[in-house]
Amino acid sequence: MRESQIMFLQYMTGLLILVFGSFHFLLISVLSPSPQKVLYIYSGINASHILVGGTLYYTWVKAVYSSLIWGSVFELLLTFLVYHVFNGFRVILSEIIPGGRAEKAITYILFIAGLIVFIWGTRTVVIGLGGGF
Amino acid sequence: MTIENKKGWISWFNPFKYGSDRWMFALHRLTGIVLGLYLIAHVWETSNILNGQVTWNKIMVDLDYPFGVHFGPYILSLVLVAAVYHAFNGIRLTIVENGLMLPRPYRPEYPYKAKSLSGLNNVLKIVLGIFMIAVSAIGIIYIFTGVII
Repeated sequence: MRESQIMFLQYMTGLLILVFGSFHFLLISVLSPSPQKVLYIYSGINASHILVGGTLYYTWVKAVYSSLIWGSVFELLLTFLVYHVFNGFRVILSEIIPGGRAEKAITYILFIAGLIVFIWGTRTVVIGLGGGF
Repeated sequence: MTIENKKGWISWFNPFKYGSDRWMFALHRLTGIVLGLYLIAHVWETSNILNGQVTWNKIMVDLDYPFGVHFGPYILSLVLVAAVYHAFNGIRLTIVENGLMLPRPYRPEYPYKAKSLSGLNNVLKIVLGIFMIAVSAIGIIYIFTGVII
């Protein structure tokens, strides 16, 4: 791909992350299936650090990962993020280490690293949707 | 051909002696790197949902109380502020780097003050800055108290 096309995608994925990232933030607040809209609820006042509720509690997070809509949102967000982040790293590293060969090496290494993160995240979403908890 | 990168990466984080755009660039890079590394950690962290209730809740608690102190909200607030800054500055860059809201081309004359660094670009900075502070404040209040404004 030409550099201009790569950067165009960088802008586009950036804007898409803004949209889908907002959903992600709404998900752990107003849109959470948890009845109490707060991140953590611990047992007792002087908490012995036992999580008993909140939007990050297992039951509610599991409910989110079982939903097809949220699964799709996560998968799309992951795709845009991985592209945006690893292309960003590539731009930064190419500036630190100049030269054609270095740039190729950076591109390949980051492509593989990005692919690993993408596959790892996709695995969570797919297994979650399949009910394999 | 190798082009020398004389000052190296350290110069990105030296916005002194330059204008506000340089500060924004430095912060954009810094927040970008932090958020990128956070994404990798976040993908690992959330993959633990597949390992059952005990593991998931333990990881949530361990990340919330890393040193026996209720630290999670501070980390989340930092990530939120970084994300909000990166997002709003990113909107500005998408507008400005594509040539919108910039002055017409002109003949450079002494003392060579760049017109692109003033005018609408500055208005954009202020407007987006206000949004940034508002969104960050709403987010931080939610993270610490659970109150949604």
